[in-house]
Amino acid sequence: MSVKGKAAVQEAPGDARHQREEFVRSFLHKSAELAEELIRDNQHMEQQLHREREENAKLRAQLASNDAARELLGTIERMEEERRQLMQRSAELSLFEQRQADTERELNDLASLYVASFQLSSSLSLGRVVKHMCELMEQLCGGQSFVFYLLTQDGKRAIPVSAQGRLPAPLAPITLEDGPLADACLTGVARVHEPDEPRRPGEPIAILPLQFGTQVVGAFALYELLPHKRAFEKVDRELFKLLAVQGATALIAANLYAKEGGPRAALHDVLMNLEAERHKQLVAADSDAGGEL
Amino acid sequence: MNSYACLVVEDSPMMRQLIVFALSRIKNMTVTEADDGIVGLKKLAQTNFDLIITDINMPIMDGLKLVRKIRSDERHKDVPVIVITTEGSREDRERAMALGASAYITKPIQAPQVIETVKELLRI
Repeated sequence: MSVKGKAAVQEAPGDARHQREEFVRSFLHKSAELAEELIRDNQHMEQQLHREREENAKLRAQLASNDAARELLGTIERMEEERRQLMQRSAELSLFEQRQADTERELNDLASLYVASFQLSSSLSLGRVVKHMCELMEQLCGGQSFVFYLLTQDGKRAIPVSAQGRLPAPLAPITLEDGPLADACLTGVARVHEPDEPRRPGEPIAILPLQFGTQVVGAFALYELLPHKRAFEKVDRELFKLLAVQGATALIAANLYAKEGGPRAALHDVLMNLEAERHKQLVAADSDAGGEL
Repeated sequence: MNSYACLVVEDSPMMRQLIVFALSRIKNMTVTEADDGIVGLKKLAQTNFDLIITDINMPIMDGLKLVRKIRSDERHKDVPVIVITTEGSREDRERAMALGASAYITKPIQAPQVIETVKELLRI
């Protein structure tokens, strides 16, 4: 028993050692496997982490790129708005410049009309009045060649009083029967062609009858314009009207004044004439009222 | 602020008035008028002007003689002179420029042309 026990005891340590060794080996083996597995997992995770980092970097870059694009779009929008504002401003400025040019032109036209009117009524000398009228025709209306006629008392003939420039025919009195001058003097209506409009040879560009009340007292026949003058403008037609009415009045006043001995003498019977005119108006009103009754 | 004195020598009252009107559009401009060259010379003897505008065709003393007188006078020899000529009178214009005129304006008078020429000469 004791031998068997001894033998068993002797065997037992060997087995146990073997088992321990086996266990330790197995343990170590498993540990190594586990370690290897852990290392592999770690490597795998590191690789994954690296990929994730790369992916993340890409996403960040894309995000940054999107931000830049958004910023760029914002800048474009701002610039578009600025461009719209500038275009609006430019349109407003053009409009303002146009208005300024129109105002300037109107001011010059008014100045011409004022000067013409002022000069026509500034003198009672016949010679000066005729000179002013011719100057007005030349300097303000741009006439280069023209004749100024006065009508005889019966209105049947036109007598040249003043002329300027190259004329189609020698100056001579004209019997007012046919033709544009006769028509204009008969009707009192101005005939104004555009300078480039076709006309018969020797026909004036414009005929401007000078009229007081319903009677035509004279006329301007305009044959040629100054080289710079290509067309009649609105102000020219206004000047023609002014010349027709104020010119006639100035001529009549100057002619009447020529018979007087100065300004006071010319006005000596003004009160008497005022009274006579008032009386005439009253008589006319009475006869009108009687006719109605 | 600068002020300017201008002498306008022109026998036609209508033309003179148109020129004065144009000059009145320039700030601080005072205008003296003369209806012929002799009257112009008298005004020049009394006052110093920054600018002279003269017509060429005038009775008594024409614009060319006036330009010659102005340029021979030490007091006014450097004053800018503008002569007024008609479109066709190229010869007069050339003579005036040769005598020392600074610029010319052609009739009919256009206010913008007067203003532009004056401003250019006075450097306004």
